[in-house]
Amino acid sequence: MTLLQSLSRILAFVGKEFTETLRRPGAVLSLVLGPLLIMVLFGISFYGYPPPFRTVIVVPPNSGLPTTTDAYSKLSPDVDVVGVVNDAAAAREQLRLRTIDLVIIAPPDLAAQFLAGKQSVLDAEVNISDPIAAANAGYIANILSGEVNERVVEEAVRQGMQTVVAKTGQQPTDVPPNVIAAPTRTHLTNVAAVQPAVVSYFGPAMLAFVLQHLAVSLVALSVIRERGSGSFELFRVLPVSAAEVVMGKVIAFAVICAIVGAITTVGLVAGLGVPMLGDPVLLAVALGLVIAASLGIGVIIAVVSDSERQAVQLSLLVLLAAVFFSGFALNLDLFQPLARPFTYILPATHGIALAHDLMLYGWTNAPWHFAALFGMAVGLIAIGSLMLSRQIARS
Amino acid sequence: MNQVQSIPPVAAVEMADATRSFGDFTALRDASLRVEQGTILGIIGPSGAGKTTCVRLMTGGLAPTAGTVRVLGDDPQHFTRRTRERLGYMPQQFNLYPDLSARENVSFMASLYGLLWLKRRSRVRKALEVVDLWDVRGRRAGQLSGGMQRRVELASALVHDPVILFLDEPTAGIDPLLRARIWEELHRRRDAGATLIVTTQYVNEAEECDQVALIAEGRLVAMAPPEELRRRAIGGQAIEVETEAPFDPSALADLPEVLGVRPIGVTTFLATVDDAGSAMPVVVESVAAHGGAVESAREYRPSFDDVFATLLEQAESSAPPITDAA
Repeated sequence: MTLLQSLSRILAFVGKEFTETLRRPGAVLSLVLGPLLIMVLFGISFYGYPPPFRTVIVVPPNSGLPTTTDAYSKLSPDVDVVGVVNDAAAAREQLRLRTIDLVIIAPPDLAAQFLAGKQSVLDAEVNISDPIAAANAGYIANILSGEVNERVVEEAVRQGMQTVVAKTGQQPTDVPPNVIAAPTRTHLTNVAAVQPAVVSYFGPAMLAFVLQHLAVSLVALSVIRERGSGSFELFRVLPVSAAEVVMGKVIAFAVICAIVGAITTVGLVAGLGVPMLGDPVLLAVALGLVIAASLGIGVIIAVVSDSERQAVQLSLLVLLAAVFFSGFALNLDLFQPLARPFTYILPATHGIALAHDLMLYGWTNAPWHFAALFGMAVGLIAIGSLMLSRQIARS
Repeated sequence: MNQVQSIPPVAAVEMADATRSFGDFTALRDASLRVEQGTILGIIGPSGAGKTTCVRLMTGGLAPTAGTVRVLGDDPQHFTRRTRERLGYMPQQFNLYPDLSARENVSFMASLYGLLWLKRRSRVRKALEVVDLWDVRGRRAGQLSGGMQRRVELASALVHDPVILFLDEPTAGIDPLLRARIWEELHRRRDAGATLIVTTQYVNEAEECDQVALIAEGRLVAMAPPEELRRRAIGGQAIEVETEAPFDPSALADLPEVLGVRPIGVTTFLATVDDAGSAMPVVVESVAAHGGAVESAREYRPSFDDVFATLLEQAESSAPPITDAA
């Protein structure tokens, strides 16, 4: 009887949360369609590659280098040469005004320096505050330097060979100048099972990311509204335990989030063409654990928040943390090795790793994520339940 | 609905020198009372007097800073689940779930009290019928009027037929007709053996209670049946006498049946007696004997507003509280 009553209490909370959610059509629509809509908009609008640097090349007079933009049009796909000038100061002024992104200043005496056996400096100047874009600019400058070097060497070899032919009447070598200048070319082969488009690549991450936020915010707001309505005072007297309250809410919101997750997954796979190479059951387990662990975080947020506003703020902080530290936007390998373990405090970090592996590779080489998520789910829900129990007792 | 669970042979509520402080502020000081099972205790007092604190000490919502509280023999701070199932509680500041219907709200609370599905259906219906809300059972709580919402909350506290009911201002915001119906239902439950602890802002509802506890500034000023409180307020019972012509009633003070007289007009006076029924003929005869002619004589029943005002004045002038833990 007691067990049945306990079950009845838990189901009462499940039913209540379901009914309350379903009676808000706007909330239901945003829950179900929101993540999909965001992905569709993302797919339509996201290009995936940074635009080429708007570049002005400064060619000093008498340098012997071409002075038309066409001559540099195939320099690099990362560079869009918008002008060739001979006045470095004018180019720098444009750079200061941010009408261009990159100024490349050719050395005034490239050929003479080369023939004299000296290395010339190819100046590249940028005006970029974004550290990632600045690093990219350095990378592009190196590529440009390589390209220029290659052309200089190729031209020198060609001229050398012409000189030898003119003097001896014999071709010094059968190797063409461009091969001498660049004996190797890279050919990249990607052995991944699928090579998804950028949107498809972000799809699995988006799934885990959205589900974490949904679970955290739904349960946090529900618990805090319960407290604000005076229910806690009643629960203090009623024969209902905090564990039953938490279980009821966790089950209800887990099912709601699971439905949203299922609809979003189907939408991603069927609608946006995101690959689904792995076992859908394993993916469901992974996302289910992400939801459960996130619900635990949501309960804790509700307990430590003194108002609905604070709960929203804390939920958004968790979301913000997930943007930076879950691997959603930034690769975890970019973090300091000592900091990396802390990124696994977030359920989304494990969820994104598993969703990527299962959907895009078909399997995971890190099954420990399942165990970590399971531990987090059990631990966080237990801690949340204990904290809520103490709060109800104090209410 | 009529069957109330078995009652152990202990006082429903017992408080001994219960005090509750919040920092420097003492909300309730040295309150001692005993409520027998099957009675209605009305807790009455001005706003902020300590009524809700008193109820929350009984429900376990607050722990006493000093003294002891026992409900059905148990310490409210350590109620077992079984004991909790026998309590009904309607707090002053509980809001319903606005997106649930009236029936769903009551059914939810019934589930929390441990009622299983089959029993729950019939109990929910009966509880809603008692508060006259069965016809609007499908309407969302957020769309109900304030009075209707209060009635849904009351139905939620009644739905499991508790042995002891704590109702914090259950009739607030409810129209007089329905208030009468609610009191009828509370009496019916009392008659079936339930104990009810009711706070109210309507002083006249003291009449509906078996015992009334008057609380002011955190002190239990008086606790007794309503009639006894009336007696205390006026020093016994009172007879209001109207004479045909101006009359000096001071001569009646010598009568052994009369405890005191007080003119309230040139032709009207109040005589305080021990028992109005037996003293009235004596008073009427005495007026005639002293040359007066009685126009009318009747037992004077002061309103509870007056009774409580008098008792509060008495309490302010005498330090120790007048308590009668019956």
